[in-house]
Amino acid sequence: MKDFLSLFPANDFSLIAVIMALPLLGAFVNGVFGRRLGKDAVRLMTLAVTGASFAAAIATFIALDGAVAATKTTEMISEHGGAAHEVVKHGHAKLAWTAWEWMRTSGLRDASVPIELKFSVDALSGVMMLVVTGVGFLIHVYASSYMEKDKGYWRFFCYLNLFVFSMLVLILADNLPVLFIGWEGVGLCSYLLIGFWYDKTPNAAAGKKAFIANRIGDFGLLCGMFLLVYYTGALDWTGIANGAQNLVSPTDAAQVHLWPIGGGQFQDAMIGGLRIPLSWLQPNKAWTITGATAVSIAIFLGCTGKSAQLPLYVWLPDAMAGPTPVSALIHAATMVTAGVYLICRLSFVFVLSPPVMMIIAFTGALTALYAAAIALTQNDIKRVLAYSTVSQLGFMFLGVGVGAFTAGFFHVFTHAFFKACLFLGAGSVIHSMHVRVHDDNRAQDMRNMGGLRKFMPLTFGTFVASTLAIIGFPLTSGFFSKDEILAHALVNTPVNPYADRLTARHVEVWSAPGWMNWLLWGMGVLAATLTAFYMCRAVFMTFFGEFRGWTIGRPSQLMKSGKAGHAENEDEDDDDHGDHHHEEDLSTPGAPPAESPRAITIPLIILGTAAIVAGLFNPGMIKLLNEHFDFLPMDHWLEPVFEEASKGVHYPETHTLHTREWLSTAAAFLAFAVGTYGAYWMYIVQKGKHEAGYMKNATKLAAGFSGVIFVVIGGLILGVNAKEAFTAHMIVPWALVAGGAYLAYHCVQQRAVGLDYVYDRSIVVGVDALADTAASVDQGLVDFVIARLTALVVSALGTLLRVVQNGVVHVYAAMMVLGLALVGWFFIQPHADATVADVGNGDYVVSAAPGMAYGYRWYPDAKGAPQNEKFSTVDNLKVHLDEGTSKTVKVEVRNAFSNALDLPVVRWLLPPNPVKEVTLSRPKIEKPVKLELGER
Amino acid sequence: MIPVEYYVALSAILFTIGGIGFLVRRNVLVTLMSIEIMLNAVNVAFVAFNRNRTDAHTGQIFGFFLIAAEAAEVAVGLAIVLSLFRVRRTVRSDEADLLKN
Repeated sequence: MKDFLSLFPANDFSLIAVIMALPLLGAFVNGVFGRRLGKDAVRLMTLAVTGASFAAAIATFIALDGAVAATKTTEMISEHGGAAHEVVKHGHAKLAWTAWEWMRTSGLRDASVPIELKFSVDALSGVMMLVVTGVGFLIHVYASSYMEKDKGYWRFFCYLNLFVFSMLVLILADNLPVLFIGWEGVGLCSYLLIGFWYDKTPNAAAGKKAFIANRIGDFGLLCGMFLLVYYTGALDWTGIANGAQNLVSPTDAAQVHLWPIGGGQFQDAMIGGLRIPLSWLQPNKAWTITGATAVSIAIFLGCTGKSAQLPLYVWLPDAMAGPTPVSALIHAATMVTAGVYLICRLSFVFVLSPPVMMIIAFTGALTALYAAAIALTQNDIKRVLAYSTVSQLGFMFLGVGVGAFTAGFFHVFTHAFFKACLFLGAGSVIHSMHVRVHDDNRAQDMRNMGGLRKFMPLTFGTFVASTLAIIGFPLTSGFFSKDEILAHALVNTPVNPYADRLTARHVEVWSAPGWMNWLLWGMGVLAATLTAFYMCRAVFMTFFGEFRGWTIGRPSQLMKSGKAGHAENEDEDDDDHGDHHHEEDLSTPGAPPAESPRAITIPLIILGTAAIVAGLFNPGMIKLLNEHFDFLPMDHWLEPVFEEASKGVHYPETHTLHTREWLSTAAAFLAFAVGTYGAYWMYIVQKGKHEAGYMKNATKLAAGFSGVIFVVIGGLILGVNAKEAFTAHMIVPWALVAGGAYLAYHCVQQRAVGLDYVYDRSIVVGVDALADTAASVDQGLVDFVIARLTALVVSALGTLLRVVQNGVVHVYAAMMVLGLALVGWFFIQPHADATVADVGNGDYVVSAAPGMAYGYRWYPDAKGAPQNEKFSTVDNLKVHLDEGTSKTVKVEVRNAFSNALDLPVVRWLLPPNPVKEVTLSRPKIEKPVKLELGER
Repeated sequence: MIPVEYYVALSAILFTIGGIGFLVRRNVLVTLMSIEIMLNAVNVAFVAFNRNRTDAHTGQIFGFFLIAAEAAEVAVGLAIVLSLFRVRRTVRSDEADLLKN
């Protein structure tokens, strides 16, 4: 291995190219030849390339580990005069490979910024790379069996391999533009795979929705890139880190002006003597934000799109229309965590703006709570998991938002295992349900499942294992990662690393108030409780009790007999689009659901095991019990990556820290216990009988609660400045808070779960109205006025011209003769024209244009007498002018007929011009004046 | 020697006869003949003017070219007349309005 790795130097580590190229090769072969190669060859190809890519990733990781070990330093640290102990520290090692220089752009102060197609692996991307290729490989194995019967087998694996390639580009990119290629690539593959069964309209619509929601986010990412290249003069990670302090420069030029936009000045405008008052728009002090805030908020917008956070999360639940392995790989384990990865990657930029850190944390906490609440009401097993993913991503953002980057990223790591396992388990369940139901929606409905524990024990075991992880059962992976996030939410305060320097320059520095920790933490704990509840609900409904699937299809038989047509899915099942209701013969019980084949269960077992034990990589909680416990591989591994960012986090003093960490851990355990017991009581003890009633009450409670929380948050924000909070000019913000609270109450009350309802009634309606307006303008103005009017003019002209095109040769001939006669007449007519030539020394020659048998009469002075009374053939006149004088010369032209022939009609058609006046002027030569310096 | 003005006058008269014939006659064959007369009027003018330039033969050579062009024109013209007759059973030009509109 050592010899093998010695082939690759650290700054030209071409093994990275192999990791990325293999999935691309697979996508190419499967996409171009897959249909002819057949399913076996496609399976071989796809598993070979992803497996080999995983192997190459492991080799790279070993090399990276070697590089990291080379940077190790040991320090002796003694605490409070106690026994000194060794602390091992390692630096930031990086393996890079440059393909070629892509382009050059100009950045800060017009400096040329090269953008290279460069890839690199460091501690952060190394872990992510292993997750993507490893979990990706398992999911490929799973999918090779799951998609067995699909006729688009080759197409599926083409897309899936392309996805792995794009994801690797995203992770391994060494600069933002290359990351953006991967970012868009995974978006494209996501779109293609959501709409994989594109012949069903809702699937195609879900694909489009995902694409559009992501575009909104990508706009933010692009803006962030432009701002970064402007402020830091670089787009690669090292360059951005070096130039990052420009982002917090307090000078006016380095600030982003929000109002007036771009930093202008509003002045009263005068239009035709009318004064239009605009100066009142000018605030006393321009509203500005620092470059760091602008960059961070723009990039965070990109992250909310890709990682399905409020307000752009709406696409992810719909994305479940894709095949289940896709949901597991793209919409749970890898792609959706790209936003968290990007924030971790640019952590040193984000910490420069504590307000944005707080926005991120709030968005995360709110999303976690909100999506968890929605997950309670879902009956489709995949949609439960989808909302669960949104919720868990919210936890990750809560973690990175409070500056706990390692904790947030560790949750990405553990989530990849347990959520992939949950999705694949759900896929396995759906796969076996398909034996009995062919309708996708009903096969995924948990109300049709139950008791599957007996039929598919392996799926049950792994599903429960990963459920334990996600709900935070002690010592599982999810317990450690979620606990760490919650603990950090309670203790961390983001501070600007340059706060001291800025304060010294009398610049106001914002810092988060103390209640924010408690608010964020409270929301997190509540979301964790709900997580435990809805995940246990899913397990109990799916695997416990009696199998309810025997009776599926009965309602459709009822429908056939014309009775109780809407007996099935009476309640709000918007998702049942009733694509193809097979008429099933239910006179015989049919085959029972059965355990899935080995290609499906083996990945499940591996992932389920990982979901349980992956917490070993960072069991930070144990540190509470034993102060000297130091087995935190992930923490140490990522330390150098987040070294810069850790300066932006402030911790309370040790005693408070410990108290709060204990409190948080206790609360996290309580959340797990309460949620689990609640679900147990409701679905096992009461057998889910009173679910509808509880849901109704819970909806009312949640509606009231969301209204209250809106008022509380609004009040806390508006009440920051207590003196001004209740003065007259605050009435508008208070009205907005009240309106928002009512809207939140109303939406939840209407069970309009999801922002879909809000978007439908605001943006979609607006866009529709705009489209209608545009359509009527198109029909009224463009089609009617422009198109038809033009057609009318053209046809009228055509009608006129058609008269002369009568096809009779004589008429044509006559017209030709007429035309020739006119041309002849034109030549005979006198046309006076003259050109002036400067021959120097003030002498000028005026030459008349020649013509047939022309005679000329010159007037040296236009107003005076002619030079010669008679017309002559002399066609030029010499004139002398003194400096600074001018003169007008006239020439008269006579034709062979002494201008006698003059027909009225012809005169009108071809007017003669026998006279031409030419004005000559000689400029006064100015002596060159020497300009005094500074005069210009 | 007859002065050149006489030839030019003759040429002008011939050209006018040809032109009027071309414009007023309806028989395509006569029309063709009128064209021939106009072209020959031009030929006369060419040759007559060339006599004033003893050092060059441009006018005469041009005359030969014109005769060749005439021959070609007649060949094409007659072919058109024949086809017209086949289609329309007439050689009257005012009935030949197939190119109308």
